Amino acid sequence: MVKLEDLKKEATQILKSGKVKYIIGYAKGAAGFMPIPAFISDPEDAENLTWNPACVHNLTKFIVDEKKRLKKEKKPDNRPIGIIVKGCDSRAINVLLQEKYIDRDDVYLLGVSCEKTGVVDEKKLAKTLKGQRVVQIDFEDNGNFLVTTESGSEKIPAEDVLAERCIECKANFPVVFDIVFGEKIKRQVDKPFQSVETIEALSQKDRWKFWKEQLDKCIRCYACRSVCPMCYCDECVVDTISFAVEPDTSAEEKAQKIKWIEKSPNLSENIVYHLTRAMHLAGRCIDCGECERVCPLDIPIRFLNKKMEKDAKNFFDYEVGFDPDQPSLVSSFKDEDPEDFIR
Amino acid sequence: MAEEFEPRIVAFLCKWCSSAGSDLAGVSRMEYPPNVIPIQVMCSGSVSPLYILSAFKKGADGVLVSGCHPGDCHYIKGNFYARRRIALVKGQLEFIGLEPERFQMSWVSAAEGKKYTEIIKDFVNTLKPLGPQTKLRRNP
Amino acid sequence: MKKKTGVFVCHCGINIAGTVDVKKVTKDLAKHPGVEHSEDYIYMCSDPGQNLIIDSIKEKGLDKVVVACCSPTLHEMTFRNAAKSAGINEFQCEIANIREQCSWVHKDMDKATDKATRITRSAVERVQGNESLEPISIPVTRRALVIGGGIAGIQAALDMANTGYEVVLVERSPSIGGHMIQLSETFPTLDCSQCILTPKMVEVSKHPKIKLLTYSEVQDVSGYVGNFKVKILKKPTYVDPEKCTLCDECVRVCPVVTSNEFDLGLTGRRAIYIPFPQAIPATYTLDIKNCPGLLPIACGKCADVCDPEAIDYDMKPEIIEEDVGAIVIATGFDLYEKENLSEYGYGKYPDVLDGLQFERLCSASGPTQGKILRPSDHKEPKEVVFIQCAGSRDPELHCAYCSKICCMYTAKHAMLYKHHVHDGQAYIFYIDIRSGGKGYEEFVQRAVEEDGVIYLRGKVAKIFEEKGKVKVWGVDTLSGKDIEIDADMVVLATAMRPSDGAEDLAKKLKIALDKDGFLAEAHPKLKPVESVTAGIFLAGAAQAPKDIPEVVAQASGAAAKAIAILSQERLFHSPNVAKVNLNLCTGCGMCVDVCPYEAVSLKDGKAEVNEVLCEGCGTCQATCLRAAIEVKNLTPAQVHEMITASLGG
Repeated sequence: MVKLEDLKKEATQILKSGKVKYIIGYAKGAAGFMPIPAFISDPEDAENLTWNPACVHNLTKFIVDEKKRLKKEKKPDNRPIGIIVKGCDSRAINVLLQEKYIDRDDVYLLGVSCEKTGVVDEKKLAKTLKGQRVVQIDFEDNGNFLVTTESGSEKIPAEDVLAERCIECKANFPVVFDIVFGEKIKRQVDKPFQSVETIEALSQKDRWKFWKEQLDKCIRCYACRSVCPMCYCDECVVDTISFAVEPDTSAEEKAQKIKWIEKSPNLSENIVYHLTRAMHLAGRCIDCGECERVCPLDIPIRFLNKKMEKDAKNFFDYEVGFDPDQPSLVSSFKDEDPEDFIR
Repeated sequence: MAEEFEPRIVAFLCKWCSSAGSDLAGVSRMEYPPNVIPIQVMCSGSVSPLYILSAFKKGADGVLVSGCHPGDCHYIKGNFYARRRIALVKGQLEFIGLEPERFQMSWVSAAEGKKYTEIIKDFVNTLKPLGPQTKLRRNP
Repeated sequence: MKKKTGVFVCHCGINIAGTVDVKKVTKDLAKHPGVEHSEDYIYMCSDPGQNLIIDSIKEKGLDKVVVACCSPTLHEMTFRNAAKSAGINEFQCEIANIREQCSWVHKDMDKATDKATRITRSAVERVQGNESLEPISIPVTRRALVIGGGIAGIQAALDMANTGYEVVLVERSPSIGGHMIQLSETFPTLDCSQCILTPKMVEVSKHPKIKLLTYSEVQDVSGYVGNFKVKILKKPTYVDPEKCTLCDECVRVCPVVTSNEFDLGLTGRRAIYIPFPQAIPATYTLDIKNCPGLLPIACGKCADVCDPEAIDYDMKPEIIEEDVGAIVIATGFDLYEKENLSEYGYGKYPDVLDGLQFERLCSASGPTQGKILRPSDHKEPKEVVFIQCAGSRDPELHCAYCSKICCMYTAKHAMLYKHHVHDGQAYIFYIDIRSGGKGYEEFVQRAVEEDGVIYLRGKVAKIFEEKGKVKVWGVDTLSGKDIEIDADMVVLATAMRPSDGAEDLAKKLKIALDKDGFLAEAHPKLKPVESVTAGIFLAGAAQAPKDIPEVVAQASGAAAKAIAILSQERLFHSPNVAKVNLNLCTGCGMCVDVCPYEAVSLKDGKAEVNEVLCEGCGTCQATCLRAAIEVKNLTPAQVHEMITASLGG
């Protein structure tokens, strides 16, 4: 089990010693049991750090934001940032390293092990508890969560309320870290692509029916894009104008902008948006599931990314985020890549 | 009787092999259906997934990407990148329920005019019974 | 500025007009946005046709032109030149191919006309996004570098030098000559190898245009076609060739004996040595690996006896920098490692030799002065077994490829053996006899008919020593019989492989290797002497196993290709190259990974295109997730409009 006290101690120490300029971690939220991302620079505030199954967020997104901010600063403070990473989050770090978006020295990684379980799916939990208000959720031994509601505490088997991505997770222990908390426990994942396979098993008509319904809902709020640590492009293809607007960009130049994807939410544009996003995440998405979690319309966006992950693995034996030195999925090839689909 | 459905195909042909191959079909006067509009690109490796999605969105009933055979790429290895990229796009399109027949990839060398005509003939014949592509099409 | 595009639709007699309603295409295109002028003519490529375009550009002030006609491979240049002569940029002219892609392959006039209209509209959309470009002009350093001083390098260097260009010839061993100088006689004419090669070697050494750097290695290459910068490490020989009089006194006093590379270990040499009598440059080299030490206290005998004081223990390695415009790589081959062929007892039994060792035995200048004697007991072998494909054509255990020259040189060896040992018997185990080449098949027949060589089709199963004999067990697959030969000597036609260090060199030059480690040519059929990098050419066995005439032909080909560059003051390169939008680039380097030409690199965390190296394939464009790199005049924005125009309406 991750000992929160150890985590706090380390956090205090690295803040005091000036090893990191601040720490991105989880702290108790103002309302409800879900923690919030916390930015801690005062060693005394390290006391506020928390670690529990509701620490769902992929905090690496904030590293990307910080990187963007630093680029604009005249005298950037380039000291490392401490960040708490779960297994999946640590893979995101590897992808960012692979794409040279960050340097290893930019971050001090405080790894936390998910051990036998993972993080909770808020909706599943609500369903299981039939509306009882959760006050606190904690890791328990033997793959259970200890859930405290207003009416008391109860043990719930984690698998009943675990986020879907955790069920298919291949990295319950950080793959890169400077210090790690909790144990490395080997966990057998029998069906890492079960979610995708369920959809693939449908007939072509049913698959279309499913996605038509799902993608028709999209209101193009771009929450999925905003939360994604890999969506760090300075200008998204959805907003593409094929050039950045500068002060001297003429009106005519602006008028010439191409719209690969219209912003208006309708099925066709939504499909192209989501497929393009999935393509752009192929070989990069580490399945932190944040896009799906934040979607206000509950679109299973994760499936599209997971499909790419599956094809990358099955066709090209490519796994994302385990090796920061491997070339990217689409900027490499093997002579023996499959081509049975080519005439 | 209603007029028979004529599918519209956009074909991204690499300049050095597939475009040259289709030119050869022309020089050899090999007839094939006029349903295909060729767009010459330098290399199959330059075909971005956006080109494909965009063509479907603009109403293509089928999309073909064609390049040099592996090992023959004018740019040495562009077609290998294409092969990987196209495999991913194809997987994704099928995953959301587009008819797999609507998106094809082929290797057509500069000498394979005949093969090009056969690909187009077969493509048109497969697309006809499927009817118009409305899934990705904007305002069908 | 408003675009004023002119569309010119060609009838091509009835070639286009027979199937496509050109009048309708012309009329429809006139309505297309941005089209100022639309016209048809019976033969656009004729002089009156071209004048029509030129006049329209001038009269109507057109700034862009689309000619709907035949394939761009035929008349793109014609119409671009016409556009240029009318005063607009040549890259503002695009071709819509409505003949090969349309009129020639369709019969239905309505449908063909509709398709021709779409193709032409698409070309109009493309040209409207075109930038005006000028060919990229590159100055040329009019000198060449040749790496490798074997026959390939010698030939390429002489060809270029004789055309008048300065050549820097770099050879890593102490003398030029390569493997060819080790050979005794050459098939199919049996000329003495040294007799035909040494005049060329001397010519190299005396040539005013050739700077010969032996005992030197290329350390670093930067730059690009026309403008390479090369760093060469010249290792110290500790002997000043200017002072050396070749008196051989130093060799006599040297206390060290080590294996002689030139005779492939069949003889020894001293630590100070001349590789072979005709070595170029004609001087000694002190082999520091085997010398007891440079401190006079350690030995110093050679310096003591050197009257002209040519030996200088203080000589230091030198880095020589050269600017060249083209590079020819001729690094040759080495033999497949002995250790890999233990099944033939190679390296284990002294009387099992490889082909090159046998060449030395046959050579008049060799260890036995041309007498064929067994290394073990110096007796004349009466039965010799030659084994072809030792390491070649064996994808499971060794090299998958055919080493190409072994069939011929084995026939030669058997023949030479018979010429030396008249009462001897030569056997050759073979898989196939590949004797394609001028006079080659006749040569093999001669070996069989005149010299009684016995060819046995099959592989050798086992070789072992017994009672002073080398026993060879094999199968003749034609008769199905087991064969046992009590041979006195076995000669293996060992596979050729890329020479040591070829991989390293390829990395320095940023050129590709094929699956077997040979240098990869740019195109297997049409660019057999070009590497994938512009300005770097391949010659000789470094590219693939080949025999001397082929090597010489390829070397001259590579020289001619290099001369094509050196003969120009400036090179011109297509400006349809990739450009980077620095605002969008995040420096992930995926474009760098995919570029087949090493034309993209990262500089200060952003991609940078070397326009000279870029061939405009656009693979980077499709790979970039940020739309931060695109090829000029075929940008994603243009393709987008082309797709729209192809499908719209």
